[in-house]
Amino acid sequence: MMQSFFEWMQGLPFSAWMLEETWASPIIQCAHLVALVGFAGAVLVVDMRLLGRGLIKTPLNQLARELDRWMIWSFVALFVTGAPQVLSTALKQYYSPFFWWKMQIIVIGLLFNFTIRRRVAFAEEGTLGHWPKVVGFLSIGIWTSVSVYARLIGLLS
Amino acid sequence: MRSLFEWVDALPSSIALRESLNAYPTMLTIHVVSMCLFAGLIAYWDMRLVGLTLRKVPVSNIPTRLFPWALTGYGINLITGGLLLYSQPMRYYGNFYFWAKMALMLIAGINMFWFHYATYKSVQAWDQGREIPLNARLAGIVSLVLWAAVVVTGRMMAYSGLMPGWWNNLNIGA
Ligand code: HEM
Ligand code: HEM
Repeated sequence: MMQSFFEWMQGLPFSAWMLEETWASPIIQCAHLVALVGFAGAVLVVDMRLLGRGLIKTPLNQLARELDRWMIWSFVALFVTGAPQVLSTALKQYYSPFFWWKMQIIVIGLLFNFTIRRRVAFAEEGTLGHWPKVVGFLSIGIWTSVSVYARLIGLLS
Repeated sequence: MRSLFEWVDALPSSIALRESLNAYPTMLTIHVVSMCLFAGLIAYWDMRLVGLTLRKVPVSNIPTRLFPWALTGYGINLITGGLLLYSQPMRYYGNFYFWAKMALMLIAGINMFWFHYATYKSVQAWDQGREIPLNARLAGIVSLVLWAAVVVTGRMMAYSGLMPGWWNNLNIGA
């Protein structure tokens, strides 16, 4: 089922176009990395604050509310620049364990963000004991491993 | 310059790195992750200067509180980048994007120092305000564009077949 879905993606005219057009893949890959920098900064500034580092003079929930939009929109940019690469190299992705780990951790990361991390970051500060630190630590770990697995798709598959 | 690259290329430690199966993937992955730490934080500092985000954070808070982390990322980035270069100098010697990236980093550095020793001196006057001087906003925009270009040329180094025609005509790698 999954395999035929990936075969279907690989067979799309768009995928053929991506592979034929010399500049399509490099431009998309560069854009994916620029989006990644925007995403990383938005996540890190808040995660560091959760850990009690960085911009500690600014209230946590103010920082988190402001950077929430940047995190969401850079994720959208990551998706928009990641999806065409999945289409054009669907079979390579399908057979790479790193791709599946990356996608699973992204799902975990999104669920974690929208259920727990946001709630903790938006809460009144000083009411949650050590939890903000745990959440900041997990968030950095989740998105770092997404990046590591992502880079390994190209290097080790 | 060329003889320096050729000399490194022949060093036993360079050859050992080049022939190791794990060295390249490990260094490149750390290069990308440390780039996130450095460029991610610098991007939000630049956007603060431009006035795009974090407008309630006093400007002077960011250098004192975030730069140590950004510089840590940068340090790791320079080390892993240096090792990648050290392991295959002749692969990058004729690479247009490699030299473009180094030039862009240099210009970004000059922009940073210029901003720091000229415009930033008056920060007390506009620390809290929403009215950021034009020079500071310009420095922010220039920095955003330059670092994005460093990221792009960094990724493009892998595409040795996509270098500009005039560069190929110089025959530097041959
Ligand atoms: C749903 C959203 C996303 C999709 C569909 C996606 C898809 C992809 C694909 C297909 C590649 C190319 C892998 C290869 O064949 O070499 C890639 C590269 C990469 N992705 Fe994503 N990605 C997404 C989100 C993310 C996120 C959230 C992160 C990090 C937090 C990330 C980090 C990276 C990195 C570091 C690379 C390697 C970049 C390179 O050197 O080209 N991606 N992505
Ligand atoms: C002394 C400084 C640096 C050196 C010598 C250096 C060198 C390198 C080398 C040799 C590669 C591997 C290219 C390849 O084989 O495809 C690379 C990749 C890269 N570098 Fe650097 N680099 C430096 C600093 C930076 C900085 C400051 C940034 C960003 C702000 C950066 C961003 C990148 C990116 C995005 C890649 C592509 C990674 C990928 O393929 O996923 N580098 N660099």
